[in-house]
Amino acid sequence: MTIGFIGNPNCGKTTLFNAYTGAHLKVANWPGVTVEKKEGAMKYHNETYKLVDLPGTYSLTSYTMEEIVTRNYILSGEVDVLINVVDASSLERNLYLTLQLIELGKPVVVALNMMDIVEKRGMEIDLHRLPEMLGIPVIPVSAIKRTGIDILIHAASHHAKTSQSHHFEMAHVSADISKHREFPFVYSREIENKIAVISKELGQKYPDIKNYRWYAIKLLEKDEELTKYHSVSEELINRSYETDIINQKYEFIETVIEEILVNKEKSKAFTDKIDTALTNKFTGLPIFLLIMGFIFFLTFLIGGWLKGYFEIIIENFSGFIDSGLTALKINEMVHSLIIDGIIAGVGGILTFLPNIFILFLALAFLEDSGYMSRVAYVMDGIMGKAGLSGKAFIPMLLGFGCSVPAVMAARSLESMKDRLRVMLVIPFMSCSAKLPIYVLFAGMFFPDNPALVAFSMYIIGLAAGLLSALIIHRFDKTKEENMLLIELPEYKSPSARTIFIYVWDKIKDYLSRAGTVIFAASVIVWIVMNFGFSGYTKDISESFGAVLGKYLMPVLAPAGLGFWQAGVALIAGFAAKEIVVASFAILFGIAGVMSESGMNLLAAELGNIGFGPLNAYCLMLFALLYPPCVAALGAIKRESGSWKRLGLIMVFQIGVAWTVSFAVYQIGRLF
Amino acid sequence: MALKLTDGIKDKFYFVCGMSLPVKTAKRLEALGMISGTKIYMLNKKKSALVVVFRGTRFALGKAIAQNIEVDDIKSNNTAENKSGGYI
Repeated sequence: MTIGFIGNPNCGKTTLFNAYTGAHLKVANWPGVTVEKKEGAMKYHNETYKLVDLPGTYSLTSYTMEEIVTRNYILSGEVDVLINVVDASSLERNLYLTLQLIELGKPVVVALNMMDIVEKRGMEIDLHRLPEMLGIPVIPVSAIKRTGIDILIHAASHHAKTSQSHHFEMAHVSADISKHREFPFVYSREIENKIAVISKELGQKYPDIKNYRWYAIKLLEKDEELTKYHSVSEELINRSYETDIINQKYEFIETVIEEILVNKEKSKAFTDKIDTALTNKFTGLPIFLLIMGFIFFLTFLIGGWLKGYFEIIIENFSGFIDSGLTALKINEMVHSLIIDGIIAGVGGILTFLPNIFILFLALAFLEDSGYMSRVAYVMDGIMGKAGLSGKAFIPMLLGFGCSVPAVMAARSLESMKDRLRVMLVIPFMSCSAKLPIYVLFAGMFFPDNPALVAFSMYIIGLAAGLLSALIIHRFDKTKEENMLLIELPEYKSPSARTIFIYVWDKIKDYLSRAGTVIFAASVIVWIVMNFGFSGYTKDISESFGAVLGKYLMPVLAPAGLGFWQAGVALIAGFAAKEIVVASFAILFGIAGVMSESGMNLLAAELGNIGFGPLNAYCLMLFALLYPPCVAALGAIKRESGSWKRLGLIMVFQIGVAWTVSFAVYQIGRLF
Repeated sequence: MALKLTDGIKDKFYFVCGMSLPVKTAKRLEALGMISGTKIYMLNKKKSALVVVFRGTRFALGKAIAQNIEVDDIKSNNTAENKSGGYI
């Protein structure tokens, strides 16, 4: 049996899906987290159920892609029963989708989620009257506390097996409008008469259709998708009845709410009290900047303090392995590969675990608290100047964590043009993988103000992104006005479980990258640095890497990067940005590159080749702005749907990286 | 007297009278329950956007949308008293 989870954005579908399947899909407190359908399985009473988590949707019309995709999936017949997850605290709005689902003719069970918020507001829902009025089972659940979930699956299973589609069979369709016995709600006499007549004609024209009533309603609404493949006599539908149908549905919903909601709230909710400050026109932006500054402080200063302990562990480990290999008289080449290649590369990256942990912990708090949507509102004015709505800032903010989910989040934007522009600028955001580059080079060359220098990268990345969007907007001849429309959910205390899943997922990803991509890249960089045309060589200037890097020198030199080592490290950085750091460690054979002694040694080695603070700053800038890692490029290709677009985006990013580094280097040389 | 939603005042209630927006945006708003007669509450307001509450849910609306929504002052409209929304 296949069960589909459907509901408004941010109603708790994925939390419920995770509770049943044991999956760890990302959940957060802002609309649009789930952008594609996800499948899972569970066993209940010896029966296996396939569960499908569908992207959140407010309705089943055909105005947006997610609505069409969701609707077509339900109509395809793959789903046996639908669990309509409803946010009880926004019942009035959520019931609109419920009514549409009932009309679709599939068995539907309502999972009434977030009852705790309803109770906190001093409201009560009449749980006997609600199913009576809707004509379907309604089960109160708490997706977070995992209460009511057994009853819900039991009800869904039972309902799928026993629900009869008698509501919609042709034999029952007549012009008689006394349909309250058959349907939970009926439309006006005029519309019901039309539905009956259209259904009859549909029955003659399309005998395979199972739910004539729904098709008739959609034809009356002049639904764009449906009218492509189904039609009836023109005189039956003289105009679009969509607005009438929406109005009448809401009239019914208002009746339901009036009957089932006891003690409707009279005072401002706690959320609104917070919002008076967080979305205030004077305090909103400064508060947002303070929050971002605080996250930065935690990531760099607290994370940096913890990193010191990780460095000691890596140094001791490296020393232990080094002595062991020496004692065992292991081949010199293998010894070098392990110490100067693998441990220098992978070990250097592992020391950043505390910084990464704190950064994602902070982002998880932002996402799960409900603040993310407010950021869209706060940033709307600034984004509007670049021709984007404030909603476009959400993917950009996620880009501070990782570009891959950020690119995916761009799907929540309605127009493809906006999505492309956001995908173009997301890689300018300082993702977590760029953090090690800033910490290393700011620490080595700007020991007095390393945090300030690193912070400048975040600001420059953001400015480059906004400026790029602004310039494109200026040259865009088909300007469209931006339509910010986003739900601001209730604030809530972040759930420990959600935060744990979110952070653990990122840490696991970081560790697995260290063990796979970074490990492999470290080995490859070591080979490229230790082998030349004459075979294994200790003279690194004769290596393949040096030859390759020297080809890049003339191009990179005007941007302050006329060192073949920088060229090699930047190319290696395409695999993953952390590899820029790993490459420098391998290039100069420094095992504990992040320790104080390792940094001093690397700074001295770089100083010997004429690489100074200005070059370091240009390297950080170039690494910040040049194209992202292959994983992010893959996501851009998937989401933009074209190699050509990906190519243009990459060319643009290389151009911006080179131009900015060039400008800074040339101006910097004057002082 | 009808006025643009952007001309509304913070912390006041209004009734929606109509809207002239692109079909997709208008239908999305209607699906969310913003139909003629819906009571809305202006929670916050700034130059480029505003926050309103209707049918128990907060929404941020950009200026391009808000200036094309017509609302009526609650005192001058007694016909839609039963339409819910905001904090009744």
